[in-house]
Amino acid sequence: MVILREGICPGINEEFIKALQSEDIKTGVDNDHQIATFEDFVSCNPEELAQKCSLSYKALVAVRRVLLAQYTAFPVSGADLYEELLSATAILSTGNPSLDKLLDSGLYTGEITELTGSPGSGKTQVCFSVAVNISHQLKQTVFYIDTKSGMCANRLLQMLQTKTPNMEEQMEALQKIKVFRVFDVFSLLACLQHLRSNDLQKASIGGGSVKALMVDSVSAVLSSMLGGKQNEGMSLLMQVAGELKMIAKDFNIAVLVTNHVTRDGNGHLKAGLGQSWSHVPRTRVLLQRVEDAETSSLRTATLTKSSRQACHLVEEFDLCHWSEEKRTSISGKRKLEERSKP
Amino acid sequence: MEFRNYCAKINDMTARVRMAENGAQLVSRLEGRQSLRDIEPSIFPVDGGPGQGDVVEFHGSEGTGKTETLYHLITRCIMPVQSRGLEVAVVFVDTDYHFDMLRLVSVLEGRLAEDCKGGDGSENEPEERVRSCLGRLSVVHCNSSVQLLLTLHYLENTFSSQPSLGLLIIDSISSFYWVDRFNGGESTVCQEANLRKCAELLDRLRRNYGIVIFATTHAIMRNYGSDPGVSEVPGPSSSRRWRSADSVTDFDKPYLCRAWQRIVTHRMLFTKSHVSKDNKQVFSTACTSIMTKGVKRCSFHVMEDGIKFVCDK
Repeated sequence: MVILREGICPGINEEFIKALQSEDIKTGVDNDHQIATFEDFVSCNPEELAQKCSLSYKALVAVRRVLLAQYTAFPVSGADLYEELLSATAILSTGNPSLDKLLDSGLYTGEITELTGSPGSGKTQVCFSVAVNISHQLKQTVFYIDTKSGMCANRLLQMLQTKTPNMEEQMEALQKIKVFRVFDVFSLLACLQHLRSNDLQKASIGGGSVKALMVDSVSAVLSSMLGGKQNEGMSLLMQVAGELKMIAKDFNIAVLVTNHVTRDGNGHLKAGLGQSWSHVPRTRVLLQRVEDAETSSLRTATLTKSSRQACHLVEEFDLCHWSEEKRTSISGKRKLEERSKP
Repeated sequence: MEFRNYCAKINDMTARVRMAENGAQLVSRLEGRQSLRDIEPSIFPVDGGPGQGDVVEFHGSEGTGKTETLYHLITRCIMPVQSRGLEVAVVFVDTDYHFDMLRLVSVLEGRLAEDCKGGDGSENEPEERVRSCLGRLSVVHCNSSVQLLLTLHYLENTFSSQPSLGLLIIDSISSFYWVDRFNGGESTVCQEANLRKCAELLDRLRRNYGIVIFATTHAIMRNYGSDPGVSEVPGPSSSRRWRSADSVTDFDKPYLCRAWQRIVTHRMLFTKSHVSKDNKQVFSTACTSIMTKGVKRCSFHVMEDGIKFVCDK
């Protein structure tokens, strides 16, 4: 809503507003509505308005034009947009070959990717490892919004230790992961808005080193708002979605969110948060445990939504891939060295 | 009703007294726009393609191929005539922040390459041809219903000054539904105010400039308590205008404001159907229009280079 008030644009002064509001103009079904917002004003015919309010037609048209220029989104030519995309889009590797294969080589900037899965399916672990990979391998800052206090710095360090034995490098990488803790949807919205208007703005001026934003989990704060008389919860849900989309698009950032799963009528797993949310992520991956596998760290990832790859691609991966596996090889090497010493 | 007449009168008046009009505007008003009637005969009813001033609603739940179909239609519009395109400029209003330029380009490249194989030996570089096609497309992102309304007002100038512009796409018109519902408080009039104004403006745009409008709506409302197949509930509901498309889904309930329902001339329902023998997902559409009888059905696969229609058995 854009309220018409003194000083929002050069031509608007007190008399102008008074003149507009002196006359009740039919702006809609509710006939006695006054022109208070620019939406009302812009929908009125300037000629009609000029006669009724005894304002100059020229002034009205000028104000309309200036305000339109101020508040509308501008069309961009497709050719320019393509050019910009080619130069600005980055694909961030997740550090896991099978996930990368599923996502067509990684997380794309400017898009929202969603991880869904039941508890214990490894959503948070995947987030951690992606964060570590982006901060260490790609040397980019990651914003990590933690809504269920699942962030565990030890685990991040553990993952980093498998990548590099160098303490300094480890610390450097950890410093690149900025964690925000929020516990309800209002603080989540405030956090996102703050990021959009402050931190990211600054970062984008200073060269744009923030490349990824993660929200783990988006359903933890949103699912409790849904149900009942719906309107408020759905509105908040869509506002969060809107903020995430804007962050992704305007700052060219890869957004990764996690979501829970529910079962549909046929007993198939589907992403939580309902129909309206289902339109939000561009790519969705479903994580599941591998049943009757002797090791509990084996998971399958299924692509359930994508505009690049055929859906229902399945890849299997091991959560240990990011830590223990390599550590055993390192300790194995150490053993060899110890043996060769004497 | 009175109000509508009143509006119509004002519109007529302004149309008559529109004083300042430059040559381009005159041409675009008098000459009319390029017809989109045969934009894609496979999905629109026979002789029922979208003519000047028609409004097509693409309705379906997530992942049923709405946006993919839009890419297909955009490609057809922005390709040059010698490649069997329509050479029509398109404005794409992206309210879902969803538009995937890379995907559109891969569809476009596929189509252009296919055309080259035909053997007319085009002298231009493929990259160059893609760019010249993309020049006919403009994209604008909107993040609230107010911004959508203001942007449409702003675009009016573009429509009046560019005769080549024939298609306006809004993907999607329903994306601010919940936020507006809540911001409007208790009164339905306030809840729908912005979308109603948008619909009224779109109505004026399509009548004055003869542009075609495609808009997608998310299927988010379940048809509780109505038999599948008899989805028409008697009453003042505008859904009576639509012959049932056999209710392939229980999510086909129109829920946007009546000002919008009133201007829609074609409605296309999207559903995901079976998976075919060769393990490909089949998508289907059912198009009904107020001009023609019956339902035009069509199924397609989504492939690497766009959608491929499946011949009906």
